[in-house]
Amino acid sequence: MSAFTVRAGLTPRFTSPPIGTGAEEIVTEEAAVGAPDSQNDAFTSVVKEGDLVGQGAAVARSRNSTDICLVAPIAGRVARVTELPGHKLQEILLFREVDGGVRTHDLTEADSESGLRRLMQGAGLWPLLRRRPFGGMPDHAETPAAIVVMAVDTRPFAPDPIQALCGREEAISRGLAALLTLTEGPVFVCRPDNRAFPWLGDSNDRLRAVQSGSRHPQGSAGIRIHQAFPAGLEAPVWDIHAEDVAALGELLSTGQMPMMRLVHIAGEALRDARSIRTHPGADLRQLTQRIVAPGPHVVMSGSPLDGHRSHWLRHRDRQVTVLRRETDAARRPHWLLSALTRSASVRPAIPTAALSQAFGAALPATPFIRALGAGDDETAMKLGILSLLEEDVALADYVLSETGQVASQLRAMLDRIQSEYAA
Amino acid sequence: MSRGLWSRETVALMLIASCLPMTLSWLWFGGLLELAELSLTLLAVSMWHIVFMLLRAQPPSLSAVTTAIAIAMLAPEELGVFRMVLGISFGVVMGELVFGGWGRNVVNPATVTLSFLGFGFPSFVWPIFDEPVAWAVLPAALIGMATGAMPAAVVLGATIFGAIAFMWGGLSEPVIMVAGIVLVLVVADPVTSAATTLGRWINGGLYAALTTLFAVGWAGAAPVQIAVAAALLSSLAAPLLDETALAIWVGRRRRRHGRS
Repeated sequence: MSAFTVRAGLTPRFTSPPIGTGAEEIVTEEAAVGAPDSQNDAFTSVVKEGDLVGQGAAVARSRNSTDICLVAPIAGRVARVTELPGHKLQEILLFREVDGGVRTHDLTEADSESGLRRLMQGAGLWPLLRRRPFGGMPDHAETPAAIVVMAVDTRPFAPDPIQALCGREEAISRGLAALLTLTEGPVFVCRPDNRAFPWLGDSNDRLRAVQSGSRHPQGSAGIRIHQAFPAGLEAPVWDIHAEDVAALGELLSTGQMPMMRLVHIAGEALRDARSIRTHPGADLRQLTQRIVAPGPHVVMSGSPLDGHRSHWLRHRDRQVTVLRRETDAARRPHWLLSALTRSASVRPAIPTAALSQAFGAALPATPFIRALGAGDDETAMKLGILSLLEEDVALADYVLSETGQVASQLRAMLDRIQSEYAA
Repeated sequence: MSRGLWSRETVALMLIASCLPMTLSWLWFGGLLELAELSLTLLAVSMWHIVFMLLRAQPPSLSAVTTAIAIAMLAPEELGVFRMVLGISFGVVMGELVFGGWGRNVVNPATVTLSFLGFGFPSFVWPIFDEPVAWAVLPAALIGMATGAMPAAVVLGATIFGAIAFMWGGLSEPVIMVAGIVLVLVVADPVTSAATTLGRWINGGLYAALTTLFAVGWAGAAPVQIAVAAALLSSLAAPLLDETALAIWVGRRRRRHGRS
């Protein structure tokens, strides 16, 4: 990597109290298991209200493939099962019970590829994987062309994966070895510099290291995949967080799926930002209620760039952002100003240095943005849209306008490409 | 960097800021007459922006100011109100607004206006500039490139090729001065110049090459006329340059990854 590309990217400015270095373990009193974002899959609950479930026990199964489970992040009692029309699972609410136990998985078949797949699907690791093109959880039998392990995260306030992996070297190397059996192709590990994972690259030529700079969006999985191994319609590329790979390694040695992950709570509406270890589905109200500043605020699961308002920590998120909520009176400008600036047609993006840096100087940003705006699928595919998802263009959206449209244009185009080429 | 920092209007403001030293020194030497000309062009350009806002719900843009500055500085002298407004109406409407406003246009409205005026009324003399105005090109290019609003590769490509042509003897000093002013006012427009890095280098080089060609081979042409013609032709070639640069980029990725 040249000196020029290492420095590519931007540093968006967000305010927050300084984040501590601690890692207090917090298990929330309530937790929820939500159905993951999936294009054409629905989940069905396998528990009833009032059941006692252990940590790591299956609580819902996929309809397409009953091997894929959602698991309880904490031991507890099922308080409520919310369903959408058609008995599609929306969310399962759990109340914590200390004596619920921990589910131990059978490891006898985990040496074979199919056994490993079944173990990962049964232990709730599958929703932590994400495939490109098009995003979402991979199909149960899909073989990826490559897997990318993200040990960098450059989003604002993101926890450092290297810190999360401290002391878990053996687990991560076991997890990486397991990932190698899932694919015929390479497994890339994105790391911040040579000091992390110094043993990479000499043992196995399918296990490769990829360097990443420190400015966003360089540590974004889409940008790294675009440069290292672009995803194609026939060549899906999976990505997974390095901490989840370590969890896979520990699952393979102990039979129990570790749930705790390093999570940062930050944002301008806090009195005190924190670094904690908690589980997916954690109750964000409980995590933030003692540290939030007075006044209206929104709690988001995810980074300030690509987070979503949520009550629970979502499957793949490792950040909680608390922002001030603007009240309507403050947001409404003078009517004359609105008449001059808020016309019906959207304003085009002007090609500047800021735009190409918002894509990490990894692709010709202006032709890409123009192809997105014009709905030109073929050019966008040539330029690499199949490797990208909404979170990779969140920075461009943030930089270019008050009301972002790049992410929604990208999603619309991906959906169109999927429906056109799926047949 | 805060949300929406690099919206369209910010870029327009940055371009205005970069042109400001040059425009002020031009007004300082030109006096009231030039100020009246600038007011006229500003009025005419913004009138068309407002017409398109009212009729087509097209948001008006501060780029009207840079267009007006470029036209006022470079248009032939003593045209009179009617011819000037006619030229601006053609250039701004057909060159920019019918495409959907600044950001969606393919040629710079000021280039179209100036070419229209040059071809339509060839008996009027083109302006000449005082030396300090030409020197103010340097801060303009520096501000534009430092903020990222002007494509640096276009400016540098033109500078390098222009320097070579000057040393070879193809470019005289007055042509270089005017070519610099035209470069920062209309050629280094982020929207209508090439959009890929390679395309931008070639775009800048092509502008300087065409200027040299016209300076050598076009007898009796005024420096502004030469530079404006070169600007028009190089901006028309920009999409082709982009297409070529993209084909090279895609081809290189195909060879490396098997797909793009």
